Amino acid sequence: MSRKRKRKQQKFTIGMKRKLVVLFLLVLLAFVGLGVRILLINRNNGEEYEKQVLSQQEYDSTTLPFRRGEITDANGTVLAYSEKVYNVILDVKQLLYDEDYLDPTISALVTNFGFDESELRTYISENPTSQYHTLAKELSYEEIKAFKDLQTAGSDTYNSNIQGVWFEETYIRKYPNGSMASDVIGFTTSDNNGLYGLEEYYNDVLSGTPGREYGYIDEDSALERTTIPATDGNSIVTTIDGNLQSIVERYLAEFNEEHKNEAHEGNGANNVGCIIMEVDTGNVLAMASYPNFDLNDTKNTDALIGMPMVDENGNKTGDYITEENLETLEGDVLLQNFNSLWRNFCISDTYEPGSVAKPFTVATGLETGIITGNEVYQCDGYLNIGGYNIKCHNTYGHGPITIPSAIEQSCNVAMMYIGQAIGADIFTKFQTQFGFGLKTNIDLAGEARTEGLTYTAEQMGSTELATNTFGQGFNVDMIEMITAFCSLINGGKFYEPHVVSKIVNSSGATVENIEPRVLRETVSGSTSEKIIEYCNLVVSGENGTGKTARPAGYMIGGKTGTAQTLPRGNGEYVVSFMGYAPADDPEIAIYVVVDRPNVESQDNAKYATTIVKKILTEALPYLNYPMTEEVTEEEQAELDELMANIVTPITSSSTEGASGEETVDGDATEGASGSEEGASSESSSDAASSSSSGASDDATTETSQIWKSFEVDPETGYYIDPSTGALINPDNGNSIGGDALPDFDSSSTGSASSSAASSDTTE
Amino acid sequence: MEAVQTIKKQKTEIYIDYTLLFIVIFLMAFGLIMLYSTSSYEAMLDYNDAKYYLKRQLLFNGVGLAVMAAAAVVPYTFYKKFGVIIYALATISVLLIIPMGKEVNGAKRWIEITNGINIQPAEIAKVAIIIFLAAYISTLGRKVTTAKGFWKVMGSAIFEGLLVYKITDNLSSALIIIGIGFAMIFIATPGYKKYILFMLFGIAIVVVFIAYISNLEVGSTGNFRFDRILAWLDPEAYASGKGFQTLQALYAIGSGGFFGKGLGQSMQKMGFIPEAQNDMIFSIICEELGIFGAIGVMAMFLLLLYRMMLIANNAKDLYGSLLVVGVMAHIAIQVVLNIAVVTNTLPNTGITLPFISYGGSAVLFQLIEIGIVLSVDIRSEH
Repeated sequence: MSRKRKRKQQKFTIGMKRKLVVLFLLVLLAFVGLGVRILLINRNNGEEYEKQVLSQQEYDSTTLPFRRGEITDANGTVLAYSEKVYNVILDVKQLLYDEDYLDPTISALVTNFGFDESELRTYISENPTSQYHTLAKELSYEEIKAFKDLQTAGSDTYNSNIQGVWFEETYIRKYPNGSMASDVIGFTTSDNNGLYGLEEYYNDVLSGTPGREYGYIDEDSALERTTIPATDGNSIVTTIDGNLQSIVERYLAEFNEEHKNEAHEGNGANNVGCIIMEVDTGNVLAMASYPNFDLNDTKNTDALIGMPMVDENGNKTGDYITEENLETLEGDVLLQNFNSLWRNFCISDTYEPGSVAKPFTVATGLETGIITGNEVYQCDGYLNIGGYNIKCHNTYGHGPITIPSAIEQSCNVAMMYIGQAIGADIFTKFQTQFGFGLKTNIDLAGEARTEGLTYTAEQMGSTELATNTFGQGFNVDMIEMITAFCSLINGGKFYEPHVVSKIVNSSGATVENIEPRVLRETVSGSTSEKIIEYCNLVVSGENGTGKTARPAGYMIGGKTGTAQTLPRGNGEYVVSFMGYAPADDPEIAIYVVVDRPNVESQDNAKYATTIVKKILTEALPYLNYPMTEEVTEEEQAELDELMANIVTPITSSSTEGASGEETVDGDATEGASGSEEGASSESSSDAASSSSSGASDDATTETSQIWKSFEVDPETGYYIDPSTGALINPDNGNSIGGDALPDFDSSSTGSASSSAASSDTTE
Repeated sequence: MEAVQTIKKQKTEIYIDYTLLFIVIFLMAFGLIMLYSTSSYEAMLDYNDAKYYLKRQLLFNGVGLAVMAAAAVVPYTFYKKFGVIIYALATISVLLIIPMGKEVNGAKRWIEITNGINIQPAEIAKVAIIIFLAAYISTLGRKVTTAKGFWKVMGSAIFEGLLVYKITDNLSSALIIIGIGFAMIFIATPGYKKYILFMLFGIAIVVVFIAYISNLEVGSTGNFRFDRILAWLDPEAYASGKGFQTLQALYAIGSGGFFGKGLGQSMQKMGFIPEAQNDMIFSIICEELGIFGAIGVMAMFLLLLYRMMLIANNAKDLYGSLLVVGVMAHIAIQVVLNIAVVTNTLPNTGITLPFISYGGSAVLFQLIEIGIVLSVDIRSEH
């Protein structure tokens, strides 16, 4: 059997074995050929391909955004912060990598984000190689979460066919309080660049360093992947008190409500600004101006309505922006109008200060010993200087007037006499000392440069000196004035004003403390005391011009200002009140400027003083100052009404109760400071309440208020001057249309330099 | 009685070609290392598990080794008489794709046996054609030298190949099946003339075909295979489309240098060569281990083929020799085609590298073939 089988069994013959060797050799040949091919690829294209591989890898590197630092107020309330948001990016190439991806991905995009399906498909079919197409911008995490789950392996809704969509992280700036402190904070453009205010000034501090995720090649040409995390920006803590700031802004807005569209269409005034500053540190507690704008919506044109319109060079056209002409604004003109909205009136706009400069003139005289404070001047209603009859605001003359009364009643003639005694050299030297014509270097972007807006001693003629003594003929900005004024009332220390108190890093550790900095001594302590005494009279004095600024229950001091603007005789005024509280030991200073109030007769400081009164009535209890004065029934009624309306400070009701109790103590200690002062404040509070309550004043007719003996115009309630027929303001005796100052611009006799100094339109 | 005795004798002093076994196990172990290196990045991205592909392949390899051992134990003569039945079953399994086929990655090439376990009938067909032709040729005897015999043999291979191509649209498997048949008939019959003519004829058709294609533009043909040929001719012109994978593989090979970037240091595996663990694993071997590693791998395959040649020479009968020749042809064709595709010597056909590329069916049936070779070896005259 086995033999038979063996015979049948076919063997693998020699021929076959040979052929198998041939086959093997053929395979060997193929292998050698392929080996040579690999060698050739390396030899011919090795370097090129190596570079290609490396360059492909570099394509992968991505920038990681940093978080911009926060801005908080002094109490830690967040004024500005950055929120992480996500852009939806479509990578069409990846999406088309597999046809299974297309439909589920598109339907997921449509259901989760509400994109238009046909639009998506059109884009995909037209751009099959696109790798970066932004579908949606700045979505919150909540908005993308559902879609992200679809892409996350391990989640319940995971779908591996959803491809080609990824989320790019970025940050957007948010301002939780909207328009609050808009001028101080400023805003950012989309690329994290600060514009205006703190955002611009502290841009470098707030900005962090972007991180990077990238691959690099080490010395062995091996790829290393590295992530350098982004460094978040530092946060800044401001000296701004959010509650105080909102009190201030509320009353600025209220003023606007009261006076808008009154004399002409437009806002209650071209600008209203207010600064509250800590006298002994230079800390800015509140800084606001109206009109303001919503920081989250900076390009909302509604905020422009009511503002004076400017042309493409930023010059006023004389018109006011209305809903109708708003539509005609576009391009550069619109941007210029936005710029005038965004700029911070309190630091960027200059104007002639007017009578608020008088305490500085007196302080200069006292400090140099040129006057003693006991002088008596004769005011005849004008003084002839350099051929001009420069009028006092009371054109009938104050008669013989002492220096305290000159401040109290704001007598120009007395100031001119003092100025003549001081002389241009010393006067200009002290102006510089007070910082007029110098930047304060406040830590906000956009501070006006006032150099050249004051006179040098050489340029200053006798008329310029005379008008400068009562604050006309030179330009300042608000921050300059209040900073100088603080030094007058704090014993002479000139502090650098600042808004930021602390810089902290992203983990909360303090990087830098910004301490108050005394730059120089302006006046001596005794001069300072005298100025406080005089300024107290402005509010407490029988004929004080600032009586209407006194808040119920408190005594304050200050100085009013009613400044003419250029061209002279245009009937447009900048009215202001610069004051402090408490009256006996100033701790906070307040300065309110109303630039061209929208009223028939602008030359009345009451537009500023009433704002001050309202702000302080609410602010002083909030700041825990005890009441020192008795509150009349009328005032109490006003206070009760106010308390009912207060919504902002939560703590105010409790402090109110406390301060009410303290009033008793305050009165008891008050007795020591002298019955005379008590009496005067008593009478002035009556006067203040009566003048604030009504129109024509039927109180005692004073010799210094001679106009009160004139006939009353039945239409306006103003007095009529029997000799000229001009209307006279019952509050301060200013005559309507009357011009107290020579117009330097049209004056041919004025020195060449004087026109240079005052040619700038005051604002 | 005698036969029983001889079997007992063989069992006591069993001879296995340990060199062959060692090479196969070496290639599989090396394959696992390279597979892990190549696939970990994408596995992490897709499955959040870097070892995803490694674990699966380890399982396939384990099952494959068990099946290989079983195939080695079964006497190869046992299934000689079932040659036609095996051929028929393979044909049916290919046909079953039409009603039962499962689509993976857009190609309908799989049949689902139970949940999660898929099998490629094309792989069955490759083993089946080896067994069927070895049995058929050895029963034909001298008749195989006649033209009729030649066409009967080639016809059955070409029929099976065309069937696989038509049904699964898988050209590479079809080419391998026909190639196996060609190699087996080449060995089994004397003379070279007709084979050289046959090959020249084939080459001429291919050249004319390519010349025709190269005048067309991508997209106008509407046929992905034509596009692949165009991309092969000028990969850089189609860098973002069909040429992308080929070009990226070339970048990988070219950037490797002589000793490569080092194990695990490939950059191209990070998303640039999609699914590199399948067809393109050889390019990552070139990138990480350089020309040195590539030649090393090819040398191992050559050694494997050499050992098979020796086994074929020493086989007890023609049937056994032809079985080994078929397996040899299969592995040789697949390795050469794979490397040729990776180096862009041939157009992209989607062919895997035996024992190294990722894939369950492939490694299973390749190990069955190795088992058959061992079975022949064990029962040969030493």
